[in-house]
Amino acid sequence: MNWNRIWAMVIRHGINTKHSWDRLTDMFYWPAMDLFIWGLTGIYLASLGTNTSHYLFIILSGLVFWVVIWRAQHEISINILQELWDRNLVNIFSTPLTVWEWMMSFIVFGLIKCVVSVGFSALLAFLFYKYNVFSFGLYLLPFIVSLLMTGWAGGFLVGAFLIRYGGKIQTIAWAGISLVAPFSALYYPVSILPLWAQKIALCIPSTYIFEGIREILFTGKFSMDKLVISFALNIVYLVLSIWFFVFMFKKSIKLGLGRLI
Amino acid sequence: MQNILEVKNLTKKFKSKPGDFTAVDNISFNIADGEIFGLLGKNGAGKTTTIQMLLGMMQPTSGTVTYFGKNFNDNREEILKNTNFSSTYISMPWFFTVWEILDVFARLYEVKDRKKRITKLAEEFEIDHLLKKEFYMLSAGEKTRLFMAKAFLNYPKIILLDEPTASLDVDIAMKIREFLKKEKKEYNVSMLLTSHNMNEVEELCDRVMIIKNGKIVDEDKPENLAKKFSKATVELLILEHDEKAKMLFDREKLTFKKNKLRFFIELDEKNISNLLMNLAKEKITYTEILINKPDLEDYFLEVVKTEDQERNKNELE
Repeated sequence: MNWNRIWAMVIRHGINTKHSWDRLTDMFYWPAMDLFIWGLTGIYLASLGTNTSHYLFIILSGLVFWVVIWRAQHEISINILQELWDRNLVNIFSTPLTVWEWMMSFIVFGLIKCVVSVGFSALLAFLFYKYNVFSFGLYLLPFIVSLLMTGWAGGFLVGAFLIRYGGKIQTIAWAGISLVAPFSALYYPVSILPLWAQKIALCIPSTYIFEGIREILFTGKFSMDKLVISFALNIVYLVLSIWFFVFMFKKSIKLGLGRLI
Repeated sequence: MQNILEVKNLTKKFKSKPGDFTAVDNISFNIADGEIFGLLGKNGAGKTTTIQMLLGMMQPTSGTVTYFGKNFNDNREEILKNTNFSSTYISMPWFFTVWEILDVFARLYEVKDRKKRITKLAEEFEIDHLLKKEFYMLSAGEKTRLFMAKAFLNYPKIILLDEPTASLDVDIAMKIREFLKKEKKEYNVSMLLTSHNMNEVEELCDRVMIIKNGKIVDEDKPENLAKKFSKATVELLILEHDEKAKMLFDREKLTFKKNKLRFFIELDEKNISNLLMNLAKEKITYTEILINKPDLEDYFLEVVKTEDQERNKNELE
C-alpha cells in the first residue's frame, strides 16, 4: 500500500465534500435535524411518567451512535458513486492506484468525517439536552470502533454491487444500511422484536453495542461478552465484505471499467 | 530500437445473445522507444477496448501486454507510474477547479515537483488562466487541453491518446501536435494515438495500424499505406480540343468526369506520366493541372468502404 496515493484520494474526497452542498448537509444538517426532532420526542416521552427519564438518553445515544455506522457506510458507497457520477473511474485506475489503496482511502476519509459528524452531533446533544457522550467513559472507544466496522462492512457490501452494476442501482447507497437499523435495536430492546427478527438481530454486530449502551444507561454496568461478540461478528463480516468487494471489482474489470463511466 | 510496448495475441470476447461477440480479435503489435503509433478504425472497430486492456481497465480474454519488457499483470503499479492516457470520452470531477484536478492526479502519480510541473503544463496547454475555474464551466476544447495536461503530469515514457485533438480549435490542435512532436523529440516519449483526423495521423505517426471488427487489416508507415491506394486524380482545365481530349480518355479506357471545361481523370499514379505524354502527342493543351495524390485518408476510406460493402452483403444474405 502506498500512503501517498491513499492520501491523494483522501484529498480528492475532501475537495469533493468542500464543493458539495449535498455532502455538507449530510454531515451537519440531517444529524442536527434528527437530534432536534427525536430529542424533543424523548423529552416528551420522559415527561409522561415518573420513571422514564432514561428515554431521552436512549434516543440520543441511538442517534449519536447510529451516525457512526451511517457515516462509515455512506462514505464508502457515496464516494464510489461519486467516481461514477464524475465519470472519473477510468482516470483514477489509469494511475498506479490499487483497489486496496482506494478502499483504504474510504476508510481514512470516513474516519475523519465520522469524527467531525459524531463530534458535531455529540456537541449539539450536550448543548441542547445536557447529554454527555463521554459519560460512557472507556467504553466509548470500543463502541465507536465496533460500529465503524459494521458501517465499513455494510459500505463494502453495497460498494461491491455498485462497482459491478454501476449507477443504475445507486439507491442501495442510501437504502442498504437502513435495512440493518430496525434489527439493530437502536431505540428499543431486542426483546420487543418478533421472534424471527430477534434471530436476525443476534447476527448483527451493532445490536450488541446498542443493547450494551442501554445496559450502561439503566444499570451503569456493561457485559464484556457483548463487546466480544460484536467484534467477532464484525471481523467476520468485514473480511467477507472486503473479499466480496475485491471479487466484484475484478468481475467489473473483466467487463471493463470504461462501461461504468 | 527497444520495444516499449509489446502486445501479443490480444483478444477480448464478450458473452452476449445470440452468440459471443469478439471486440478485439487476436491482435499483436509493438511500439518502439520514441515511436508514435497510430491506431485507426471506425467507431466500434475495437480501438477503445484495446486501450482499456492496455491500461488494465479491462481484462483480456487472452493475450499478453508487456511494457518495458515487463508483464503488465505482474507489474501494474510500476508500469502505470510511467504511462498515462488521455481521452475525449472521459470526464473529471465536475466541481473541481482545474488546479485541484491536476493536483490530485499529480499526487496519485507522486510527482515530486508538483506545483512547478502543473504550472509548466498549464502554460504549455494554455490553460494557465483557467486554473481557478471549475471543470463544468470549461468548454469542450478547454477540457481536452486539461486532459492533455493531466496526461503529461508524470513525465510518462509512453502515453495512450484517444483522439487528443478532437473538439479543439485549429490553432490549438496545431499547437498540441507541435507539443507531441517536441515531447517525442526531446524526451523520446512513445505514443499510441487514435484519431479520426487522417492529416494528423499522417503528420504525427511513424507507423499506423488499421483495425476492422477487432482484427488487424493493415499495419505500415502512413506513406506506405497511402501508396496502397494507387488511384490518383488529375484535374485538367482544357480550353480547346476538349472533344479530342474526351476521345483520348475513352480510347485509353480512363475513368473521368467533366465539369464545364474541367476534366477529372482517375488513374493509377504510375500512369500519370503516360497521360501527360499522350496529351502532348495529340497536341491537346491544358491551362491548369492539379494532381491529387492518394493519401492515408483515401486508403482508410477504401478499407471502410469494403467493410460497409461486406456488412451490406451479409445483411442481404
